[in-house]
Amino acid sequence: MMDSSALLDFIGLYLIPGLITGCIYALGAIGVSLLFGILRFAHFAHGDVMTLGGYLALTFVWWLGWPVLAAIPLAMIGTALVAVGLDRAFYRPFRRRPTIISVIASFGVMLMIRSAIQLIWGVEPMQYKAGIERPIILFGQLRLQERHIWMIAITALLVLALHLMLSRSRIGRAMRAVSDEPDLARVTGISTERVILVTWLVGGALAAVAGVFLGMDSKIDSYMGWDMLLPIFAAAILGGIGSPMGAAAGGLVLGLIEELSTYNWIGENPLVPPDYKLGLAFAIMVILLIWRPTGLLRGRQF
Amino acid sequence: MLRSLGKFFLAGAAAAAIAAAVPAQAADDDVKIGLLFDVTGPVANFVPPMLDAAKLAVDQVNAQGGILGGKKLVTVVADTQGSPQVAVDAANKLVNAEKVAAVIGALLSGTTLASAQSVIVPAGVVQISPTATTPVLSNLKDDDWVFRVVPSDSYQGPVLAKMLMDKGITSVALTYANNDYAVGIAETFREAYKKLGGTITADIRHEEKKSSYRTELAQLAKGKPQALVLIAFAGESGVTIVKEALEGAFFTTFIGTDGLRDKLLIDQIGADNLKTAMFTSPSAPPGTPSLEAFEKAYTAAYQTTKDKLFIQQVYDATFIAALAIQKAGSTDRKAIRDALRDVGSPGGEVVGPGDWTKAMHLIAAGKKITYVGAACPCQFDKNGDVAGAIGEFVIEEGSYKQVGVVTP
Amino acid sequence: MDTGTLLYLISLATMICLYAILTLGLNLQWGFAGLFNAGIAGFFAVGAYTTSILTTPESPDHLGGFSLPIPLGILAGVLLSAVLGYAVARICLRLKSDYLAIATIGIAEILRLVLKNESWMTNGSRGIAEIPRPFEGMAQPWGELCFLLVTAAVVVLLYATIERAWHSPWGRTLRAIRENDEAAEAAGKDVIAYRAQVFTLGSAVMGLAGGLMAHYLKFIGPDATEPILTTFLAWVMLIAGGSGNNRGAVLGAALIWLIWSGTELLTQRLPPDWQTRSSYIRVFLIGLLLQIVLQRFSQGLLPERPPQPKRSESPSKPV
Repeated sequence: MMDSSALLDFIGLYLIPGLITGCIYALGAIGVSLLFGILRFAHFAHGDVMTLGGYLALTFVWWLGWPVLAAIPLAMIGTALVAVGLDRAFYRPFRRRPTIISVIASFGVMLMIRSAIQLIWGVEPMQYKAGIERPIILFGQLRLQERHIWMIAITALLVLALHLMLSRSRIGRAMRAVSDEPDLARVTGISTERVILVTWLVGGALAAVAGVFLGMDSKIDSYMGWDMLLPIFAAAILGGIGSPMGAAAGGLVLGLIEELSTYNWIGENPLVPPDYKLGLAFAIMVILLIWRPTGLLRGRQF
Repeated sequence: MLRSLGKFFLAGAAAAAIAAAVPAQAADDDVKIGLLFDVTGPVANFVPPMLDAAKLAVDQVNAQGGILGGKKLVTVVADTQGSPQVAVDAANKLVNAEKVAAVIGALLSGTTLASAQSVIVPAGVVQISPTATTPVLSNLKDDDWVFRVVPSDSYQGPVLAKMLMDKGITSVALTYANNDYAVGIAETFREAYKKLGGTITADIRHEEKKSSYRTELAQLAKGKPQALVLIAFAGESGVTIVKEALEGAFFTTFIGTDGLRDKLLIDQIGADNLKTAMFTSPSAPPGTPSLEAFEKAYTAAYQTTKDKLFIQQVYDATFIAALAIQKAGSTDRKAIRDALRDVGSPGGEVVGPGDWTKAMHLIAAGKKITYVGAACPCQFDKNGDVAGAIGEFVIEEGSYKQVGVVTP
Repeated sequence: MDTGTLLYLISLATMICLYAILTLGLNLQWGFAGLFNAGIAGFFAVGAYTTSILTTPESPDHLGGFSLPIPLGILAGVLLSAVLGYAVARICLRLKSDYLAIATIGIAEILRLVLKNESWMTNGSRGIAEIPRPFEGMAQPWGELCFLLVTAAVVVLLYATIERAWHSPWGRTLRAIRENDEAAEAAGKDVIAYRAQVFTLGSAVMGLAGGLMAHYLKFIGPDATEPILTTFLAWVMLIAGGSGNNRGAVLGAALIWLIWSGTELLTQRLPPDWQTRSSYIRVFLIGLLLQIVLQRFSQGLLPERPPQPKRSESPSKPV
């Protein structure tokens, strides 16, 4: 049994950071999952699309002097457009080819995005706002960062919006159709290219938010998205390939497990040494793949 | 078949182009120094100011009369991408294709070791690393070709321990990054600190580039130590850890090594929050104007901060290499090595950062010179290592100030 | 041609051969059996670290002191990689191909993390140095030339053996399985067993590449086994060279490594003011050239169709 002080510690130091990591994973994983469901390839440049979103927001913050949260919608639009542009230039030529080629192309795109960022913005790590943000203190002990509250709220909103879009709107239904039954979808006259366009727009926009959150929570640098890529893939798998809602859940679960695993559940020491925290995502992924290959949520459900 | 032929020709054309491009460079009259830097990869953040520091040395040489009888000194950059495979390829480009007179680099211990063993030593050319701190480099069988201007890990750890004990800081928490720089210093620090009677209440190695270190900090803060010893690079994990430590009220006093002593820390945390922070960093011996001379020249040339990691070391390595070439009187690699030892040994007339004209005259007159650098006295021992003084730094008026020197 | 230029060309050729071996190993798994191994880094690392530990002298920093002869060290690395490959195969081969890819990434990353953290064995992030290299006592350029010849001989031998195997009954069975595994199963072939065999062999070859690379660099550390320069590069080489066949593997290794290394010779020619940025431009160029190679030269005329991993439906069905 935890006393109230230990409980507050648990919430502030383990639970909430886990949720934040989870939100970032979730937003990135949704895009990866959508792209995999509809385009059938693993988009290795997705991490760097996230990074780009973070940097675009930074530029808007500089130009307009807005706080970063206000710059998010602009970053989303910019990144979404870039994502569509990438598709046109580098992935569309391979629509009719084996998808492995698109995967390899995305490796190259990853290099291009990253080096372009380094050329434009330089390699020095940056912040949206310098200095320390004093936390809000609840119950005398629980320290909450204001930005964390925003991040959780915005993620919840976006996931809800996505769910509504996929289940209620026409384009959402079309996306589900292309993902689940592509031949049938084509036969019934759904414009695959239109669906693909929307997929890139949504995937790019969500990736931008993930990138901004990453930048808000630690720092903005050119490798930040790439460093998240493998956990994001793990989250998408966890949720079931091709299921964006599952990916969101997978991201949250993975983030929570990563942080909670280092809590001293048994005795004095962390359950998992912090050294191996990173490896945990992969271990979970591998175990899950072997034990339950369709993912936490069954197969392709939106 | 046609397509694969196309690729075959493309590959062949590329190879031919490379083979043709390479000898064309040999005809140049310039004197070349190779910069084998890890420009992209894990330490990409640090490199641009370092390239500027190297450029400063080269510009000073060229402005003050050039090298080897008025020739132009140029640098050629080859990127190791942070990986030993590419480092070996890059070193080959510099040493064998560009035929540089000396190599400055690499920055990481791994890339330095790979390039040293695979290319430098077989070819026989001077290599001066400005930042590789691995102890392995000291005893490497390198036919005396490999040098460095930064003290080995084995040195900075004990010095840090002594500084803390002298200041009455007898219990600390220790966290260090999982990279070759931090692991080495942490090891020697731990041993020395405990031997001096200090207590380490928590000892955690952390992975870089994570966005949350709160769980580590919670562990570290248990036992209520007086301060947090943070051996890490500011841009990779240092800033995030300090930020989260302050936000979570885990620590208020931070102690770091040169990896943390980056303007980035001041910019992103704020000098007000770092009033009690202390840093150790290899620096020039006390009482010499070298550090000041370098800083003045650097800020004048680039109008930017001098508080960036390792720029003094890069400058020293480049400048002393130029001195060695001038002393050798030619681009003969063996002569340069001997000259390097000569210039990097005590007993001659002292020459500091920027003193190219003075050095040229002394050399022309046949006099011995001794280079005393911004970051090291640069007196090489038999292994090509330097001892160096370790300076103690604090943050005053928004930038780092050296307030003393710690001797073990 | 002077010694320096010769040495540089030899170094290019040696790296091409080392990567050719790695890519041939990958093609065993992909070309023969349609298996998508995205954890090449793991097998490479096992091969490299094994031989490093076994052939280096005593050191306080890491496990060692065996000082075995180089061929034995490499052999041990190959065997250990094979064992790892077999284990992975038995566990993961039931998975659909994309899942296999992700599972292998996960396993490789865990393995690399263990190698990095267990510093009693590997010296962690500081790596193992002073790994012996064959022919290192010889004068330049003969030592380097001999090493190149040995590596090239390995490439030729591997190529010939794999081509031979492709046309053997074993190879035919594998092709049949690749085309239609259900039919092969019905005909009494143990599909999983065949796939496991070829996966194991491929992993062994990757271990060989890792071992040879460790001896060439005379150093091994976590940065040498990270995914971009092992997994990613081998896949790019295989696909860019001509997906799914051995000639493509070797050709791709040559083409991509020349691009990787050669782009720097171009960006070094930029004026000195560009020095700081030239390295980023070079990486951009690599990415761009890769797109060009893929788009202009993506095969369609090669007689051997690349294997399709089994997938239900796909909007991008190959023509």
